Amino acid sequence: MNTEPALMSLTSVAKAIAEKSVSSREATQSCLDRIAQWQPRLNAFMAIEAEAALAAADAADGALAKGNQRGVLHGVPLAHKDMYYEAGKVVTCGSKIRRDFVATTTSTALQRLKDAGTIRLGSLQMAEFAYGPTGHNSHYGPVHNPWAIDRITGGSSSGSGSAVAARLTFAALGSDTGGSIRMPAHFCGVTGLKTTYGRISRAGAMPLSQSLDTVGPLARSAEDCALLLGLMAGADPEDPTAVAGPVPDYMAATREPIRGLTVGVPSAFYVDDLDPEVARILDETVAVLKREGADIVQVELPDQRQLTAACQLVLAVEAAAFHKRWLIERPQDYGPQVLMRLQNGLAIPGVTYLETMRWRGPALSAHLAAVAGVDAVIAPVAPVAAPTIAESDVGNSPDAESVIQRLTRFTRPINYLGLPSLSIPAGFTRGGLPVGMQLIGRSFDEAMLLRIGAALQRATDFHERVPKFA
Amino acid sequence: MTRPTAKEIKAMADVAGVPVSTEVAERIANSIGPAFEGFAAVAGTLPFDLEPATFIVVQEAAKMTNKETTSKKAAQ
Repeated sequence: MNTEPALMSLTSVAKAIAEKSVSSREATQSCLDRIAQWQPRLNAFMAIEAEAALAAADAADGALAKGNQRGVLHGVPLAHKDMYYEAGKVVTCGSKIRRDFVATTTSTALQRLKDAGTIRLGSLQMAEFAYGPTGHNSHYGPVHNPWAIDRITGGSSSGSGSAVAARLTFAALGSDTGGSIRMPAHFCGVTGLKTTYGRISRAGAMPLSQSLDTVGPLARSAEDCALLLGLMAGADPEDPTAVAGPVPDYMAATREPIRGLTVGVPSAFYVDDLDPEVARILDETVAVLKREGADIVQVELPDQRQLTAACQLVLAVEAAAFHKRWLIERPQDYGPQVLMRLQNGLAIPGVTYLETMRWRGPALSAHLAAVAGVDAVIAPVAPVAAPTIAESDVGNSPDAESVIQRLTRFTRPINYLGLPSLSIPAGFTRGGLPVGMQLIGRSFDEAMLLRIGAALQRATDFHERVPKFA
Repeated sequence: MTRPTAKEIKAMADVAGVPVSTEVAERIANSIGPAFEGFAAVAGTLPFDLEPATFIVVQEAAKMTNKETTSKKAAQ
């Protein structure tokens, strides 16, 4: 066993607590010790609730001593992106407007994790209203990348990526509307799962775009993501878009070999204009898949630029609609970039918006036809590793949208199509920055992505590397 | 489909009840313009009998295909 419980994976620490080889207090104190060390450097937490966490840990240990195990994550301390409502808790959504907002309900995803026995360490930083791909936040400051403090984490689940990478929490919820789980996973070197639209209830999660928002985990491995997904997925009367039907055994999928599976590599778009190091790591990852027995084929996907444009139009309109009241009453309380991006939605006619929504079915159908012979598609999450905080601090400058588009061009098409995508750490640049690759699947086929991701992680150790506190 | 001009955006924002300055309208036009251009090839070409819920229908069909594929791979 590691001397520091915080360095264990989610599945390992949950098992250790259940077997009483590690107490919940030890695991919680270990996370709190690392938080105390790293937080001044990373700014990953919005709120740290040390005393309450330790009290909850003691209660969990006491219950376990009496034979009462609440669930498979009994006594495991976690923190999540500060947009998941928890009754009685302040949920800032990374904003000034909601600085003092106290939730009166608890989000379904969070409740299901609580029902499995998790305890709360605090809440994690995020881009203001989840509307930013870099990790900048004009109200609370940027979140820093533990692999290089002057680099961005990616966003909008910036605190989730940073905290999981630095081993401050065993896992964290993020949300992905245009790449907000996969970007921080890529830039911070952790595993992030963007789920199929409808796979996990969004009830009690701050909305940004009702047609694109998805809930998902950032964790240290595909196995950890599988455990969390299995606990959160499924129908919810509070969210009619959450699909009914049995939830697959995702943990079992992670133990399956990948020999005989077929993985597609896009012939264009996702391989265009890549940083040479990202291109190298893509090639190396494909080579690992081959070694593990997967068949590799080239796939020709439909025009991804149209999907990106459609995603941008849908997101802009729906976000502006959610925020309209505050755009009228409190425009001065938004950060400059978020205000700018929300105002974009005012420029899109209703007919155009509905055309983008009407095209979604045929666009998904065309994609599924293009990947009919493959089990998953592999592609970079972004064309570059983490840029510096300084160079990406574009605020509301005239070129801000083009900077945002450049970072998110490989993630947005997936949101428009509502597909699942698993971002896994796939290598490091020569400068020591992590690079992730995304496995893109068919609708509701997260099990396949987790199966391939776990096989890659059995064959490599990128997901086990821990940034050093230098 | 053409990208909206700053003048048109200013009028639309007024109608939406969220007025913006000429400068902001110009910035919005530059910012969102490329998305209009990216979607131009699709806009105005969709068949009559197509509604947004088609997306859910396609998703559901994909889910059924996944089950069949999984069964076949397990049987191999």
